[in-house]
Amino acid sequence: MKKKNSVFLIITIPAFLLFFIFHSFPALQGIFYSFTDWKGYGDWNFVGLKNYLNVFKDERAGDAYLFTFKFAIVATILVNIISLLVAIGLNSKIKFHKTLRAIYFLPYILSILIVGFIFNFIFAHFLPQIGDAFGWEFLTRNILGNPDLAWIGIVIVAVWQAVSFNTILYLAGLVTISEDLYEAASIDGAGVWTKFWKITFPLIAPFFTINMVLSLKNFLMVFDQIVALTGGGPGKSTESISLLIYRGGFEGGEFAYQSANAVIYFIVIIVFSVIQLKFLNKREVEN
Amino acid sequence: MFKKMTAGVMALTLGASLLAGCSSDGADDGKVTLELFSNKSESIETYKGLIKEFEAENPDIKIKLDAPPEAETVLKTRLTKNDLPDIMSIAGNATFGELGRAGVLEDFSGTDLAKTVQPSYIDMINRLVGPEAEGTFGLPYATNANAVIYNKAKFEEHGLEVPATWDEFIASLEKVKAAGDTPIYFTLKDAWTGMIAWNSLGANVAGEDFAEKKNAGETSFMEKYDEVADKMATLVQYGHKDNMGVAYGDGNNAFAGGKSVFYLQGNWAIPEILKANPDMELGVFPMPVTNAPEQNKLVSGVDVLLAVSESTEHKEEAMKFAEFMMNKDTAQKYIDEQKAFSAIEGVYQEDPVFEGIKANFENGTITSFPDHYYPAGMGAENLVQEFLIKKDKEKFLKKMDSEWEKVQNR
Repeated sequence: MKKKNSVFLIITIPAFLLFFIFHSFPALQGIFYSFTDWKGYGDWNFVGLKNYLNVFKDERAGDAYLFTFKFAIVATILVNIISLLVAIGLNSKIKFHKTLRAIYFLPYILSILIVGFIFNFIFAHFLPQIGDAFGWEFLTRNILGNPDLAWIGIVIVAVWQAVSFNTILYLAGLVTISEDLYEAASIDGAGVWTKFWKITFPLIAPFFTINMVLSLKNFLMVFDQIVALTGGGPGKSTESISLLIYRGGFEGGEFAYQSANAVIYFIVIIVFSVIQLKFLNKREVEN
Repeated sequence: MFKKMTAGVMALTLGASLLAGCSSDGADDGKVTLELFSNKSESIETYKGLIKEFEAENPDIKIKLDAPPEAETVLKTRLTKNDLPDIMSIAGNATFGELGRAGVLEDFSGTDLAKTVQPSYIDMINRLVGPEAEGTFGLPYATNANAVIYNKAKFEEHGLEVPATWDEFIASLEKVKAAGDTPIYFTLKDAWTGMIAWNSLGANVAGEDFAEKKNAGETSFMEKYDEVADKMATLVQYGHKDNMGVAYGDGNNAFAGGKSVFYLQGNWAIPEILKANPDMELGVFPMPVTNAPEQNKLVSGVDVLLAVSESTEHKEEAMKFAEFMMNKDTAQKYIDEQKAFSAIEGVYQEDPVFEGIKANFENGTITSFPDHYYPAGMGAENLVQEFLIKKDKEKFLKKMDSEWEKVQNR
């Protein structure tokens, strides 16, 4: 027991230190500065809760919250549906399933910025040409230039890229289910649909949980896709909270104010993740 | 189950972040490496050529050019980290003002280099820094002009004359539109391109002291910018089918391909257009904002200034590079390639393209960019972009006022 403990410590202490230096400490600094009027450089004074009160009065932050949540919820649902379907497909006995797995994983390896620029080209040139050719009026203009549709373009790109990672997690889950269960179910006369709802879905519940939590968290922090596709425009219609914090904090010299915004956002994300875990853990099967 | 997975995910991310932190600065072979930070994608090739020349003259100095997208935000980020580049080639705008006030830039006042610059541009950048910090924290290098660029072949085809008043300008746009052609090629997917027209209009309608008065609470967008907003909305009616969906780079190519008669851009777009179509005949004129021709001024600002980090370890070498850049031959080369104007006395832009705005430079009917004096972080270009989509003037002007005040009060 003693030996086990020391090994455990040797492994965890460096990891903890690194995490603290590069993650926790800057986060604590940010929390500290959120009570000041620091611009990112120069002198600063304590201003108490002024920054926090200003965030709640800030229309721009409100709009960013609305957009981010709309985006994150839609993208999370889409990603999980699509990646679960893809995973089930890749898990079945089809030809080339190893090659196909590699191909499906490719989007995840590409840099988001590069993907964004490629899709930018597709939205700006390729789709309008198709729209012109078929006479579809709604496609003849770049959807990223329309404040009501631009967010859909970002959802498409974000989902396309995120599906691969979640597919891998679902595949890992599907592998854990033993074939015997399906055979037994077949003997009892269960169809494909029944097998999915009664066996597959309950048994990969832990994976479903982690996928939901991770993808919602990631989509709430959406940043690169927006920088590459719209830069927050047209107008401010696709400005996510991360982008607002980054832009306002560095470009606008509102370091302290946006730190307060970041602290609030941190709390919001934690609350959402905890609620998700509580809710989803309830329905996990003890295995 | 869940705990195991979290541990796995944690270990993965930690490993990845460790790897990311392992970038080295390359081998040091007795050479001094300077970083030159530039905010312009257009001048990358020009700089590469100039750097080659400089390195040939100074074999013990190596210059690394860095021109990232969203350059100003990147620069602010680095300011926060106390990691300023040795030499900066940035625009004379609100961001420069902030850097100057932060006291992180070398003061050039009284140096021989600063004396070679036209005094009006030195004043311009000093005004950006404001009275809080005494000094000249950069060397104005290249200046620009906000103009209306036109396609000469198409211009003649439609039988147009260079307009001197707003009404004449609209009449020519109308004429082109009636002939079934596209008058102006807008590229409003990139919000900043909307500021070209906005600045020309604002400078001529709202006056030069708008920002000072606004900060003192003596005026407002509501009061001064009503006409500007109306005229902006009028101009957008003369665009193409997808004003909001085309970005700057694509716009340059489209205009070079003869897709429209007019193009509202600065001189910096001209090399880009000529890259796409080297034989194109271009002309420029200042946007005639009012109906009194003698009152129309050309908007020109400091497009590029050279600044040196105050805390750089290689100040001597950085100064050497600044001297090399300020040399008349180098300056001439820069403005010839970039189709810009020089802030250095005695260096002139002789390109025939600029026939239409030469007079403004000679008789001084020039005014500076209004938005360089807006508080940074107000995001004016996105607000203007939004207005051009929604066309709700009252709400937009109110928002401009409230955003300005909000940023001021933080």
